Amino acid sequence: MKHELDLYRRLLGVQIRSQMQYRTSFLFDAMASGLIVLTEFGSVALVLQRFENIRGWELAEIAFLYGLVELSFGFMDMLFSGFDPPNFGRGVRQGTFDQLLLRPINITAQVLGSDLQLRRLGRITFGIGIFILALTLNDIVWTVPKLLYLPIVIASLVAFFGGLFIAGSTITFWTVDSIEVMNMLTYGGSFTISYPMTIYPDWLRRFFTYVVPAIFLNFFPTLYFLGKPDPFNFPVIAPFLSPLVGFSTLWLALRFWRFGIRHYQSTGS
Amino acid sequence: MRLFWEIARRSFRRHLTYRAATIAGLITNFGFGWLRVSVLLALYDGRSVVEGITETDLYAYVALTQAVITYLALFGWYDLMESVHTGEVGADLLKPMGYFQFWLAKDAGRAAVALLLRGVVIMIFFSLVFPMSYPVSWVQWVWLGTAVLFSWLVSFAYRFLVNLAAFWTPNAKGISRFAFIFAMFFSGFLMPLRLYPDWVQRLAQWTPFPHMLNTVVEIYLGLLQGPALWQALLTQVVWAAVLAVVGQLLLKTAVRRLVILGG
Repeated sequence: MKHELDLYRRLLGVQIRSQMQYRTSFLFDAMASGLIVLTEFGSVALVLQRFENIRGWELAEIAFLYGLVELSFGFMDMLFSGFDPPNFGRGVRQGTFDQLLLRPINITAQVLGSDLQLRRLGRITFGIGIFILALTLNDIVWTVPKLLYLPIVIASLVAFFGGLFIAGSTITFWTVDSIEVMNMLTYGGSFTISYPMTIYPDWLRRFFTYVVPAIFLNFFPTLYFLGKPDPFNFPVIAPFLSPLVGFSTLWLALRFWRFGIRHYQSTGS
Repeated sequence: MRLFWEIARRSFRRHLTYRAATIAGLITNFGFGWLRVSVLLALYDGRSVVEGITETDLYAYVALTQAVITYLALFGWYDLMESVHTGEVGADLLKPMGYFQFWLAKDAGRAAVALLLRGVVIMIFFSLVFPMSYPVSWVQWVWLGTAVLFSWLVSFAYRFLVNLAAFWTPNAKGISRFAFIFAMFFSGFLMPLRLYPDWVQRLAQWTPFPHMLNTVVEIYLGLLQGPALWQALLTQVVWAAVLAVVGQLLLKTAVRRLVILGG
């Protein structure tokens, strides 16, 4: 384990050094990825000047949901770059993944260490910015449990979306190309939970409650942090299921990943 | 002209072959459309009409904007830039036709496929699932078609201009990402421009971006009528021409800087 961590650190060191060779390019890419977050959230904020709220959620409250998802997703996107399904699928197609398998080192550590997209720092920074805005605009009654729980919620979001990335990559063992349904879950899912779940049609909310329980990651914890009443009358434990959902998704994905590796047949390229 | 037609036709056929990618794209396109409509409807929250845009118009707005993403390459277009980086540009510049016209022809083929396989299909999809509004007369359909064509011209002239950055710097891709993000915002892709505060709308009117997309939307929804409609179409043509001319001027300097490495 210690050996693998050391190796992972070295691999990441290589990534960071190589991406820093093109400093201007890196800066532009990072700022562009931040600007996307800014314009997308900005468009909602600007329109809210006219409408004032979305189903009783004011801008400050939406910023809490939105910022939390953006910063966590950005962080996940950077940490799990090696498992980004389209890129991973390319490795399977071109046979570079086979090279990794030949090395006598833990394969998960290698894939995680194979890429670290530093330009996501732009997205993370702006996500944090939106979240800080939310912290200053909302009158949150901070308690010790809330302070302790916040980092756990962020970690759970990272684990959940990381799990989706790993599952999406594992599927490419069979499909070779990354599949769009998976993209809908990751990108569509993060879009969905950036807004209050009350705005969606019932079937969509049920899907994100009982099939893919993303509603517990972000929405219920936010109700708890902001002290908002629960419109769906779920049990009082609902806000605290975030780590259960996040980490069991990651755990299942890793199981699936190991199963995939055991049954992997190269494309032969 | 014959050459233009030949290149466009070949590009059309080449793009027609990516069927799996098209189907995959359609799923995402449709899914995101659904989510975007939910947000807009929640904002309306029972208001029947805001700034002339009704609830059924919202469905049409989202359908239209989702339908033209690939047609107008709203998320970015780097084909020309890549040909500069790989050196292909050398052969392209030797072709017996203008460089601008050459890329215009190639993009015409690409855009035609995108309009047919993505645009039309998405509109049909949405019209089957959602209670969306439609143009009320055939005249309006004709103006819509014209605006859709002009929007591509504005968009292409802009994309050509942005891609020329590749002649100056190897970091052109990062720079052009900014250019495309600004275009996406001010074109009215993220939200209908009319719903923004006045100052944003006024700012947008100084740019070519609303003429890429927002004009199409407003003609479809019947928000532009009579002289306003004529003026909008005319402005589209003017912007396309201005951007094309600037592109040509810049191209002259660009070509003088170009060094192709053998190999």
